[in-house]
Parts: sequence; C-alpha cells; structure tokens
Amino acid sequence: MPVTDNSAGKTGAAPEGARARDRLALLTADNAAVPLPAGVQAITAILLAVLLIALPWLGLGYRFLSIAITTLYTAIGLYGLGLQFGQAGIMSVGHAALMGVGAYASAILSVQLGLGLWASLPFAMALSAIVGGVIGLPTLRVGGQHYIIITFCFCALFVIVLTNGGTFTGSATGLDVGSVTPLPGINFDKLSNNYYLVLAALFLAVVATYLIGNSRYGRTLRAIRENEQLARSVGINVDLHKLGVLMVSGLFAGLAGVLQLYYLRHISPTLFGAFPSLYLALMVMLGGARYLYGPLIGAVVVNFLPEVLNLDPVDSRIAYGVCLLLVILLLPGGVGAGIKNIYCAITGGFETQKQRGSNGRA
Amino acid sequence: MDIFVQQLVNSLSVASVTILIGIGITLIFGLAGIVNFAHGEFLMVGGMATWFMVGAGMNFFVALVLAGLLVGALGFAAERCLFRFTLNRPMNGFIMSIGLSVILQHAVIRVFNEFQKSITDPVGLVWTIGGVDIIAMRAIVVAITAIIVAITYFGISRSRYGMALRASVADRDTAELMGIPVRRYVTGVFIYGSLLAGIGGALMISLFPITPFTGSVIIIRGFAVSLIGGLGNVGGAVVGGLVLGLVDGLSAGYGYPEWTDAYSLVVMILILVLRPQGLLGGTLGPKAS
Repeated sequence: MPVTDNSAGKTGAAPEGARARDRLALLTADNAAVPLPAGVQAITAILLAVLLIALPWLGLGYRFLSIAITTLYTAIGLYGLGLQFGQAGIMSVGHAALMGVGAYASAILSVQLGLGLWASLPFAMALSAIVGGVIGLPTLRVGGQHYIIITFCFCALFVIVLTNGGTFTGSATGLDVGSVTPLPGINFDKLSNNYYLVLAALFLAVVATYLIGNSRYGRTLRAIRENEQLARSVGINVDLHKLGVLMVSGLFAGLAGVLQLYYLRHISPTLFGAFPSLYLALMVMLGGARYLYGPLIGAVVVNFLPEVLNLDPVDSRIAYGVCLLLVILLLPGGVGAGIKNIYCAITGGFETQKQRGSNGRA
Repeated sequence: MDIFVQQLVNSLSVASVTILIGIGITLIFGLAGIVNFAHGEFLMVGGMATWFMVGAGMNFFVALVLAGLLVGALGFAAERCLFRFTLNRPMNGFIMSIGLSVILQHAVIRVFNEFQKSITDPVGLVWTIGGVDIIAMRAIVVAITAIIVAITYFGISRSRYGMALRASVADRDTAELMGIPVRRYVTGVFIYGSLLAGIGGALMISLFPITPFTGSVIIIRGFAVSLIGGLGNVGGAVVGGLVLGLVDGLSAGYGYPEWTDAYSLVVMILILVLRPQGLLGGTLGPKAS
C-alpha cells in the first residue's frame, strides 16, 4: 500500500493542488509488483551488464576499482537480504554476521587444512545457509520485530565468540589468507581479474533473484509476506518456506563473505559486527528490496556517496544520514522505486499508473 | 557483607540508567509502535547537554531537568518531522531511526569532539550507614529512578490518560471512535519516552564518563530490558533491568570476564525464544509489522 493514498483521497477542494499531489503520488508510489515490458527489462539488463563489464577499461583508477569490488560483493550479500525481506518480508539486522560465518569458515579451512577459495566455497556457503536457518528458527515463534532484535543479538554474540576464539579464529586481530588459486590463464592477483570474479558471482546472484522472483516459489513467498494466515489456510507450508528463504539468503551471504575474504585477504571480527549489519539493512532499504536492481543500487549509493560528496568523515556521515531520511520519507519503496516511477511518468504508458491517477481524481 | 551491600548499591545505580532507557523504549515501541533505534543517542545527547551546562557553571539538578526538557523537545521534533509519516510502515521508521542515530552521533562529534566526557560528582558526599560506605550520588540516582518509575507506572495503569493510551493500543479504530485523539497520544508517549532518555543521560554522566558512541552501546541493552520484561509493560522494564543487572553483576564476579557481554545476550535470546511476550507479558509489539 503506498502511503500517499490518503492524501490522494482528500483532494476534492483544490483541483490545482490535487493534480500536483496526484503527480507526486505517482512518483512516490510503490509499483514493485507491476512488471515493465519485457523489452525494457532486457535493454536495462544488457546496458547494465555492458557498463559493469566495461568498468575496468574506463581508466578510473585503482581506488575506484577497489570501491567497485567492495560494492559488488556487498551487493551479493544484499541480494540475499533483498530476497528474504523483499519477497518473504523477513528483515534481519544480522546479515553481516552471516557473511562473516562464510568468510571465517573459508579462512579457517584455509589456515587449518590449506584449502583455497574454490575448495572451501561450497563448505562456507553451506555453513552460512545452515546458520541462517538456525537463527531463523525463532522467526517461526516470534514476530518480525523480535526477529530483528534476535539477529542483532546474534551479531553481537558472533563478534564476542570470534574475539574470544583464540588462535582458531585469530582473536581480535583476525585471520589472513593467501591469494585466490589461479585458474588456467587467469591470475586473480590482478585487481581487474578479481573484479571480474566478483562480477561473475554478482551476475549469478542477480539471475537467481530474477528466477526466484518470477517462479512459483517467489509467488508463494510473496503470498506469505502479504498475509501469512491466508497463505497457511490455502495449504502453503509457511514455516518450511520461511526457513527455506532464510537458508537461500544464507547461501548468498556465504558467497559474499568468501569473496570479501579473498579480496581483503585479511578479516577481523569488527567487519561483521552490528554496524556493518545495520549498514546492510540500510542499503537494502535505500535501494528498494522488491526491485531486481534495488540491492545493487543501494550498495552503489552507500559505497560511492562519500567519494562523490568528498567530505571529511564526520560530515559525510551526517550527509549520509540526511540522504537516508529523505529517501525513506520521499521514496518509501527505495531509490529503485523512484527510478522506475520516473521512467513510467516519462513514458506514460503504464496501466497501474493510469488506474491510480483516476482513483485519485474520483 | 559490607562489600556485598556496596556492590548492590553500585549495581542498582547502573541498573537505574538501564531501567530508564528501558521504560522509554518499552513505551515508544510497545505503545506507540515505533522502533526508535536513535533512543540511545537521545540518552547520549542528554548526557552531553548536561556535561555542557554543568561545565558552564550550572547546578547539576537544574541541568538534569533542562536536559530532560531538551531531549523531550528533540523527541517532539523527531516524531513530528519523521516518525509520523511511517506509522503504517514500521520497518521504514526503524531504518529512519538508524539514520537519525548516525546524524545525532556525528552532530555531537561535530559540535564537541569524539573524546569521552565526564563531570565531577555533583554531590560529593559519602554516607556511612552501619559501616557501609555509600556514595550519595549513586543513592540519589536510584531514588530519582524509583520516583520516575512510580509516576510512570501509576500514570499508565491508573490515570484516565493511561487508560486511553492502553485503549488506543488495544484497538486503535474503536479508541478513535470513542473520541480519543490517538495520534496525539502517540506523540505524547514519544515525547515522554525521550524525556526519560534525557534524564537517563544526565544521571548516567553523573556516574561514569560517556562518549558520543555510548548511545549505540546502551540501545541494545534498552531493547533487551524492554523485551525481557514485556513490551509496553513498565513493571516489566524494571524487572528486565534488574535481571540484566544481576546477570552482569554475577558474570563479572563469578564467570569468565571476557564473556560478560555474551551472558546478557544469551539470556535475552533465550527469553525471546521461550517467552516472546516477555516475563511479565506485554503487547507483543506493534500490530502492523
């Protein structure tokens, strides 16, 4: 439900203001459920893919590419969070810890058994998925708000466990790993190759999100999000689906964590604590969890904003907070919603938009 | 025995601050339905304001009242300008409160700096009762908290305003039909909770030094206290604060000190899983989730 519906209903008195308000309502509405034409979707995907593939060739420098890699592996984790929040409606503020489970699993396998990225990746992803499911067990008993607090507690606990884990987890200093095992002809020590590795993983995440969103499974999840009682009463196994989506989300987080580990080559507990987790939640809300490119947009905005604004750290945090408030107030569906609505407002040929418009005027 | 009593007073004074922030959260989250993550920052702002006013030569107790009013006004502004628009989307309100907490934290760093601040003990007396030394300020902190808890408890459970408030939580539409201005009550609860956070901050800085990052540490304890006791339940927040204080005190004395923080988190997760409505029962949080 768009929050602007109320104001659109009370516009009888002032027709001039009413039209402006209708237009504003169109821009701020949440049209996630309405698909764009297939051609537009395809063109967007191709343009985005070309841009991302061409990025290392544009000569933007080492620092830019480093931030781009950070953005991309964060976005992979965000796609997991976007799936569980956007589709199934379960928000978590412990997602960085889930990424940490994958990263630490991979690092410990590397330190103890000498396994590289490729060998440890399946184990790390599986472990993240299992942990995601186990933390998810309480969601079956408690409501969404309580689950947020539980995930936050898990995050804090995870950091304490890592810090007290002795040499096994490297305590507060953390663990180091070697470089990515080279594939034939590809050496991942080169930054642009590392970028393509992360980009390939992101591509998989986006495709998986698209397929899930358009499948029967995705529709089932949305049914649970919209009305859990109703979903239960038509025979959907709500508990199983909730745990399932949390485990899928854990898979994404594990993948992101391993990529983060092998990009940074060194991890420590603070990377996976409460604040990184909160930032993940912010990014996914900022971008728009229900939109295919929402998580990516959120990651890009949050990671590149300090660079673009070029302020000192304190001012950039303040500016960042203000931007966040503005986005949430003006675009409750996230930046993704805003872009889609602007596109629709420009082209105008959009079924729901017309319908909403006529409702407002009636 | 003497040491035990001394420890008890000390733990009680620390628990008092936790209880104050817990009551604020339990009212705002449980009754107004707003998940305000910036509540810890409200407390920090209250403490910083007190530090500034005491530093300027003001009496501590005047500064305490002013800090409460200031943070209450801050809460009023936040509710009117921000949270009012997200009442039917609690998740958006939650994210906005994180943004607000980032802004407040760094605004304080911008105005002052990021180092820790403290004031000298405003009373500076030590009472000796039956051979036990009790720092007077700590006893005063406990007494102020007890008075606030009593006022809040009777306000919610006995007065007609409290009754109207509880009616609005139980059934918002019916309450509105009965002529209760529900929106105004939501604002009122938010202001009152913020005011308590301001007073809590002032009391906190009289006990130990605080930094601009204190708020983000104490907020999770505040949520713990309100959820352990039961959301919207003032008595529950007191019980939750005492439970958490006890767990901390015992674990610091008898367990492994490096795991001290972990105990309260484990207790909280267990209570949330086993008794989601809290020890004393509460509202189970806002309905629109």
